[in-house]
Amino acid sequence: MKKILLLLVVGGCLFSGAVLFASGEVKEQEAYDEEAYGPEAPIVWVKPLEAVVFEHKVHTMDAGLDCGSCHDDLFEMENGVAEEKDDFTMETLYKGGYCGACHDGSTAFASNTRCTACHIGVRGHARLRGDSGSAEKSH
Amino acid sequence: MRIDDFEQLRSEDLSTLPSAERRKFLKLGLAVTGIYLGGSVLSLTSVQNAYGSGGVVPEVGKYPYNPHYTMVIREKLCIDCERCKDACVKTNHVPAYGFRTTILEKRRSLSGDKFETTFMPVLCNHCNRPPCVRVCPTTATWKDEKTGIVVMNPARCIGCKTCMTACPYNARYFKEEERAVDKCDFCLLSRLSKGETTTACADACPADVRVFGDIADPASRVFKLVHSPETMVWVLRPETGAIPNIFYINS
Repeated sequence: MKKILLLLVVGGCLFSGAVLFASGEVKEQEAYDEEAYGPEAPIVWVKPLEAVVFEHKVHTMDAGLDCGSCHDDLFEMENGVAEEKDDFTMETLYKGGYCGACHDGSTAFASNTRCTACHIGVRGHARLRGDSGSAEKSH
Repeated sequence: MRIDDFEQLRSEDLSTLPSAERRKFLKLGLAVTGIYLGGSVLSLTSVQNAYGSGGVVPEVGKYPYNPHYTMVIREKLCIDCERCKDACVKTNHVPAYGFRTTILEKRRSLSGDKFETTFMPVLCNHCNRPPCVRVCPTTATWKDEKTGIVVMNPARCIGCKTCMTACPYNARYFKEEERAVDKCDFCLLSRLSKGETTTACADACPADVRVFGDIADPASRVFKLVHSPETMVWVLRPETGAIPNIFYINS
């Protein structure tokens, strides 16, 4: 009798744990739909300097913007068009161009603040590519 | 001496010590403690001569050199584009395995899986009391008498690397090509001596992070940045007592 009771208790614990674990997983996995939210892989610009990151997920799925908010007025759909232009600079952003259309301090944080939120640098770029070794140069 | 002879010897432990001797020792201990205690409780320093610590920024007008070259680093603006590193490498012929200046990264975790990143440019701090100069056995490195720049004479360097160990900022590396230690000299050889007024790294920075200049000149930008009200100024590793000349600010 005692053994059965013990087995029940242990089994109960394990079962509830499994249920909790499963529910946690479901919560996290809200599917990312590339059709609705744009490419999942981060966009990295290396011009005019290395490197600036842009994530569709943060802007569409998390912040609730739709494709038309930026395309095709501020940015072409095609990747890499903006960085080939001469006016793709911070100066243009401050005047409301490109990211500066929203990153003006009222809609989103101003482009002349929180530099490293987007500027991930040479190190950040290397980390994104997965070669952390090159970022940790030693002598 | 044989073990049997040892046992015949008179013991030297405390049990054979006369009690007068023990008391004398105890009194000596108390006297020493008393002197120290009295000294700290009843300080002999008069209040009029006691100043609060001025922090890491030297007092206006108290710069040992003229021009006294320094660099102010506006840390928060650094985006690790590493143009400064590239410019330095080109200007001063730095090999791929070494560096005269580099960028460190601090990552502070925020809520969720987010990070806040701060990039920290580092270079030789051209200390007023440079530990590297003190340890060099051949005087191959010294403080330039006029500018205070810590310079190297590679011909005199024997490659013992003691200076590399002594430097609190890891600002020196061994240059295989010259068989000598190499380090930042604020571009003294490559630029300043040829009439330029700034370093290659400061010149290349697109975000105006590195500001180079003469802090002994009250009209200079570095002076104004360091001596402006409500500006938090810090240096790296002040506890070493090296009195560095690279100042970090955020405004």
